[in-house]
Amino acid sequence: MSAPESRPAPEPRSPLAGHLKPGRHGAAGSRPLVLREVPATIVELAARRGRAAELAAAVRGALALDLPPPGRGAAAAGATALWIQPDTWLVVAPRGTEGALAAHLKGVAGAAGSVVDQSHGKTLLHLAGADARAALGKGCRIDLDPAAFGPGRAAVTQMAQVGCVLYQHDDVPSFSLIVPSSYAIPFFDWLCHSAAEFGYEVP
Amino acid sequence: MHLITCPWCGPRDEAEFAYRGDATVARPAADAGIDAFYDYVYTRANPRGWHTEWWHHAAGCHQFVKVVRHTLTHAIAATGKPTDTLPVPAE
Repeated sequence: MSAPESRPAPEPRSPLAGHLKPGRHGAAGSRPLVLREVPATIVELAARRGRAAELAAAVRGALALDLPPPGRGAAAAGATALWIQPDTWLVVAPRGTEGALAAHLKGVAGAAGSVVDQSHGKTLLHLAGADARAALGKGCRIDLDPAAFGPGRAAVTQMAQVGCVLYQHDDVPSFSLIVPSSYAIPFFDWLCHSAAEFGYEVP
Repeated sequence: MHLITCPWCGPRDEAEFAYRGDATVARPAADAGIDAFYDYVYTRANPRGWHTEWWHHAAGCHQFVKVVRHTLTHAIAATGKPTDTLPVPAE
């Protein structure tokens, strides 16, 4: 039997390709929300039992990225790490060469951590604007009031019945939302309906 | 709406959790015999009052959370990690 033909891994395809309608939608207003899909590489990084500190030190050394504590995210120059469960994080970076970030992290983590590339399975959306909290609040059960949830906070929750990783970047406020790619279309449609009363723009 | 405080995630809606039963039963030794295992698997007290139970944060951090809940009022007295020993109110 001959060796299987070596092929490059396929590039992730956007589940929203052909579904996004660029332009201004919903109510007219002076401060529309901005809603877009962000092509991203998303890698799950989990510490092996009892080796979280070792993994954190390795990631800090290689990526200048501090793996954040529960309920928080941490941004570095090239990547953002989001806490998703004890000793487990999502590392999110701009879309690059297929598999490169996962391979790099595997090299960094060594035997201290497990690495799974989730780029195909998860879709990153970005919502920004003064009314973003109100738009998300219609389907989100966690308290997004600035007193309870602010920049740097991350949460794994359900939004509009879809499992979602939420991260707040800044005081605009702008949010990253990571949802399973197979739910990206209904989730995006819900987000559009939710944002319609404020007006929104898809770049 | 019920708020359950996950030790990792903070207060979350009960819809994010799955009830996973009585947290007070202890697994018998392997050689304890069929009756001990029957009790371990099936026999429950069904108390009217405070009850220590497992809730799985299925739509969040996927961890098991120990919860002391009043079965009549649904009040929650304490929540903690699986290894925590939680105080149970007298009444």
